[in-house]
Amino acid sequence: MKQCMFGLLILSLFLTGCWDRRELNELAITLAIGIDKVEDEYQVTTQVVVPSEVSMKGSTGSTTVALFTASGETVYEAIRRMTKDSPRKIYPGHLRMLVIGEELAQEGIGKSLELLSRDWELRPDFYVVVAKDIPAKEILNVTTAIESIPANKMFNSLKMSEKAWAGTHSITLHELIADLTSDGKEAVLTGIQLIGNKEIGSSKQNVETISPAARIKYDNLAVFKEDKLVSWLTEKESRGYSDITNSVKTTVTPISCPKEGKATIEVIQSNSDVKGNINNGKPEVDINIKVEGNVGEVECKINLTKLGTIDELEKIYEKEVIEIINETLDTLQKQYKTDIFGFGEAIHRSNPKEWNKMKENWDEEFSNLTVNVKVDMKLHRTGTINNSLLEKIKD
Amino acid sequence: MMQNVKINSYQFLILVTLFSIGTSILIVPSVLATAAKQDAWIVAIFGTGIGLLVIWLFCTLAQWFPHLTFIQVTEKILGKWVGKAVSLLFVFMSFIYASSLLFYSGTFLNTHLMPNTPMVALNILMAIIIVMGVRLGLETIARSAEILILFFFVLFLFLVLFISPEVKFENVQPVYEAGTRTIVQSSLSFIEVTSVNAIVLLMIFPAFINKFKQAKKSFLIGNLIGGIVIIILTFLSVSVLGADNTAAEFYPSYELAKRINLGDFIQRIEALMAALWIIALYFKTTLYFYASVLGIAQILNLKDYRPLTIPLGMIVVVLSLVIYPNVVYQQNWNATTGIFFSYSIGLFLPLLLVVVYAIRKKQLKKSPESSSV
Repeated sequence: MKQCMFGLLILSLFLTGCWDRRELNELAITLAIGIDKVEDEYQVTTQVVVPSEVSMKGSTGSTTVALFTASGETVYEAIRRMTKDSPRKIYPGHLRMLVIGEELAQEGIGKSLELLSRDWELRPDFYVVVAKDIPAKEILNVTTAIESIPANKMFNSLKMSEKAWAGTHSITLHELIADLTSDGKEAVLTGIQLIGNKEIGSSKQNVETISPAARIKYDNLAVFKEDKLVSWLTEKESRGYSDITNSVKTTVTPISCPKEGKATIEVIQSNSDVKGNINNGKPEVDINIKVEGNVGEVECKINLTKLGTIDELEKIYEKEVIEIINETLDTLQKQYKTDIFGFGEAIHRSNPKEWNKMKENWDEEFSNLTVNVKVDMKLHRTGTINNSLLEKIKD
Repeated sequence: MMQNVKINSYQFLILVTLFSIGTSILIVPSVLATAAKQDAWIVAIFGTGIGLLVIWLFCTLAQWFPHLTFIQVTEKILGKWVGKAVSLLFVFMSFIYASSLLFYSGTFLNTHLMPNTPMVALNILMAIIIVMGVRLGLETIARSAEILILFFFVLFLFLVLFISPEVKFENVQPVYEAGTRTIVQSSLSFIEVTSVNAIVLLMIFPAFINKFKQAKKSFLIGNLIGGIVIIILTFLSVSVLGADNTAAEFYPSYELAKRINLGDFIQRIEALMAALWIIALYFKTTLYFYASVLGIAQILNLKDYRPLTIPLGMIVVVLSLVIYPNVVYQQNWNATTGIFFSYSIGLFLPLLLVVVYAIRKKQLKKSPESSSV
């Protein structure tokens, strides 16, 4: 009896997961999905890795990814319909990018995201971006240099530019959903653009030249109201948004010198703290930004050996950043009336009772909101030299 | 009847801990966040406190009859026939919950790990080890719990450590927005799952414990440890996922494990973390099943409960497949019928027993107390 049981147990080891086994050669590993709206139907495009092309040997010189497109009344239907075209089942477990077409974004993105948040195979840690001016399908249809898989290029590019430039935002699906469902915060997404000749773009020929005929490039931030795209920010406003929402990691900022010319400040750390409060029944928001940086570039004649110069540069930086921030606030408060900064949440956190009263017409309240901005800049180093070489060059 | 089986108080502590964590680890954060939003963790703290009172009530009841199981106590206090009728209800509850938990584990695996595997296969596999455990007896269950609790807490520690960088304190603010009323109301379901259902442990405690006094302490401490684990998990769920997301997810703590990403290196370990849920669910189901099998044996005055395990095991599997038609039904049943069912058996029945005992005290004292009915 005991031996029999033992035998059964050993056997059961080999039987585990029989139903749900999926071999690697049955899966179409999808790294990017694009969703568009074409005549009342969702058009879903998937960028699938061609395994033989990314392997070390056995590459035949064709493209590393293949594109599959299908339409359907719902997103799920479209994805399953893809098996009519694709030899393998779409496997989105390694998804890195979701590109949403601008037209769909203007109509509202909520419905198309529902499947992605419900399906068990997906991990909601991929980035979401909006294709600017063109359908998402076109964005996925471009070969890229350096990173041979376009989805990886988009992923890394966004990650890097967020880290080093601060005008773009890597928003994952779960962050986006949190923004969409929150009362006191609206969503933003980074835009992505196709530049150049899209006919050549989809072929491998595109990356055979030093300067590719078509390339994909990130643009500025798209502002959403509820789940509908309302407008695009400018580059400056995108930067201001990053400053306010504490998402600057490192960046560079050109400022004007005391007299003439320009200098560049390299920001190495930036911390912003948004506090909401109620003052005499009126909501108010205080933004406190603490920045640390270095002098990165000096294209004017200033004496960097003097202590006063550093102070002066700090002051100029503070003033100019406050200007950018105020400009950003102005556009969003007066023009779009959309609280993408999460000021509503800040007020909710500090005073839930008052917030519940003003929650219903928050857009109105937001546009009349008093925002106090304070920037505190600390310059630490001036790079490897002190005074600029320009000092010695005669005009 | 099997009176020579004894476990020590430390083993009992582990069983209580695993029982309290059991299903709560999967579903409680979501249930609490639905009602109390970002204050879900306060509800968990409150619920743990009240839960300890319930456990204290169980201990009080148990100390009057230190050699009897709950079934025997009921018969003793309420008389033979009324006692047997009430005991049947009790057995019915633990049996229903045993199959309900099988449904839980099957659904969980079906939803997140093996969507194409028929649930019957998953449930049979789980039921086989449950029946095996119960056949081998309480001592074996307790010893395996001693080993597995180590895995459990190591994994739990990893989960807490790895997810802590993702904690956003903004998500739990403003604190105490829900208000006392909501907090008290929503704590009912928490107390039900972690403490009130622990009435089935009275089938083990105090009859099969070697030292009563220490075991009483273990009962309280085990429940407290279980409560703390749930408090931590609820707090992490709300502070990482946000209150709305926690409420929307079926299994927020699994989603939590999905979010782990340390330097793009330690990531995608949720399948490993699923061991946490399976361990906790296994012991809770086993204890329910043990209580119902032993209960039936004692009601029918059988010498040994073992012959019942296999047939009842089969029934549990079948029942687990038909008990809820779908997951929405299950959630509604839990929130409405289940809660009253649990409270009437797990709270009002022991209270009733205490009252009747107080009235019949002298009469009961006269009859010589024997260890078996």
